[in-house]
Amino acid sequence: MSIQTSSPHFEHLVEEGRVHRTLYTDSSIFDLEMSRVFGGTWTFLAHASELPKPNDFVRKRLGKRPIIVTRDRNGNFHGLLNRCTHRGATICRHDEGSARRFTCPYHNWSFTNTGELAAVPIEEGYGPSFDKAQLGLGKLRVESYRGFIFGTFNTELPDLKTHLGPAAELLDEWLDRWPGAELQLRRGQTKFSCAGNWKLIYDNAADGYHPGYSHASLLRMRKDRYGGGVDMQWALGNVDEGLQTVADCGNGGTFIDQRAEIKRYWDQSAPMPGESTYERVIKEKMGDKADAALDVVMGSGMNLNIFPNLLIIGNQIQVLEPQSVNKTHINWYATALVADDLPDEVNSLRMRLQEDFPSFGEPDDLANFEECQVGLEIEEVEWVQTGRHLDTGKEYIGAKGMLSGPVSDELPLRVFWKEWLKRIAQDNKGGAK
Amino acid sequence: MSMNANPMQDGFTLEDILRDTLESTYINDAYYAKLRHDMGEWEGCGTVLTAEERSVYESLILHENWLLDRRAFEKWYQLYSRECVYWVPAVGDLPDAERADPQRQVTIAFDDRRRLGDRIVWLRTGVAYSQLPPSYTSHISTSFVRLPSENAEEVKIRSQFLVQEMRAGHEIQTFSGWMGHVFVKENGVIKIARKVVCLLDAPRNHHNLTFLL
Repeated sequence: MSIQTSSPHFEHLVEEGRVHRTLYTDSSIFDLEMSRVFGGTWTFLAHASELPKPNDFVRKRLGKRPIIVTRDRNGNFHGLLNRCTHRGATICRHDEGSARRFTCPYHNWSFTNTGELAAVPIEEGYGPSFDKAQLGLGKLRVESYRGFIFGTFNTELPDLKTHLGPAAELLDEWLDRWPGAELQLRRGQTKFSCAGNWKLIYDNAADGYHPGYSHASLLRMRKDRYGGGVDMQWALGNVDEGLQTVADCGNGGTFIDQRAEIKRYWDQSAPMPGESTYERVIKEKMGDKADAALDVVMGSGMNLNIFPNLLIIGNQIQVLEPQSVNKTHINWYATALVADDLPDEVNSLRMRLQEDFPSFGEPDDLANFEECQVGLEIEEVEWVQTGRHLDTGKEYIGAKGMLSGPVSDELPLRVFWKEWLKRIAQDNKGGAK
Repeated sequence: MSMNANPMQDGFTLEDILRDTLESTYINDAYYAKLRHDMGEWEGCGTVLTAEERSVYESLILHENWLLDRRAFEKWYQLYSRECVYWVPAVGDLPDAERADPQRQVTIAFDDRRRLGDRIVWLRTGVAYSQLPPSYTSHISTSFVRLPSENAEEVKIRSQFLVQEMRAGHEIQTFSGWMGHVFVKENGVIKIARKVVCLLDAPRNHHNLTFLL
């Protein structure tokens, strides 16, 4: 990456109903995003259930930066930059584990899991100017909301919950489908690699226009085998005449609400291995609460996207890890619900159902994103359209005071770019550039 | 058996699959327990196949590879028993019964007979854009050994594999690891009851793993 001496301006690349193709193809813009967008705003780092006990840690990325998310002995979360302050080597080389200290393998400088430099071998080799207190690990500002751990370098931002705004209430609704249940991520991941810019994935996460077309294979397979009636029927026909909506959650966050289309969750669920057996067992165990328990097997009917890297879809959590301007890792974390009054058979079914869309839906999306990346390399056709429903008069102030629109509205794209422009114009500490 | 223009599909059509299993009835706690037990047995010390075992089991695995490479999915489907599973764990460094446990976590693929049918119907819709253009594969299997199995009705064969995949517009991808096949006799015919594909890079991000291993 070249050092930015003066900050470029991007306003001319983001117009009211279109954005410029180079935002997806220019690697210098990508480098700036990794510095300013990832870490310049509250950015999702990890979920508390990935590091459930004191002194647990997970290794993650924040843009291109290797980081460690730790839980100290008192249970507080920390976001540490995984870089020895001595000569630059990463100090943590495991994806997860438990450690009170991280010792750099190179010269054994040792850091606590809160980031302080604890010990240096043969310390007498340093003179009076050596100050261990100045040589702690780089640290992020970290806060969590109901298990979702976010970090930023930005000291100007308000607290996390204020920043999330209506997205916090929507997270509550997503988490409280079975009141009192604890959401756990430690149930494996489906990990994709896409030869496309990371924003193509974010763009799609609140795209209610595409499912009936992009997911023709899934819809046709279901219909050919099961005669329709299950899963995603709301994607067919003129979706704007249906009950789904899109909304602006603020600060680049967006939301598709499908819930009004789902009369009975379990009955409209996609097929999954083990369905008959575990439906019977859950009915035997739960009696008149069985229907409600079966309903939480199925996805939530919510797509909640928290700028810039957290996409909640169905029962899953997707995290975007940009690798380069035209390569993105997309990690789908499976979730389980744990509660005394919910039998684990629900999770046996949830695991199988959470393989359905990653098998029959997401791959077709990723194929289309990759073809977008190919097409966007064409210099002569410069613009990407973002203006659907911009001037149809169909937008309104909806639930929670959010600007809302019919589900095919490209409002989410416009919301994204507004926030993107704001973040790219500031350094990652929140200062003007 | 009806005549079919494509000899690779002879006797088995998409229609057969559409009418096949539409319920998922046999995946239960006992079935998952069997998979965990399998993982322990896959860890065992194998014996190279006898000439007779080669002619039956190695031949079947090689035939399976050939059908997949020829994209004869309908015929491939019929190699599997009524209560089968095609399983690709998302964790590496297997066998390990606890870490691999599919009842407790998501996998890259966990297809019972019904979902396996869904997958083939999905591949054949002609609008699965991740398979347009389609993937072509070359399967190589080697190092076949037979593992001791507690269940005398079943035969366990472990092998190493190398699969290359090519899709127009994309670089050739290489996948490797080991596979476990569990064979049973169903109505006098030897069928694959369970196949587990343990990828060397199972825990890593994959690019368009929508073809069959």
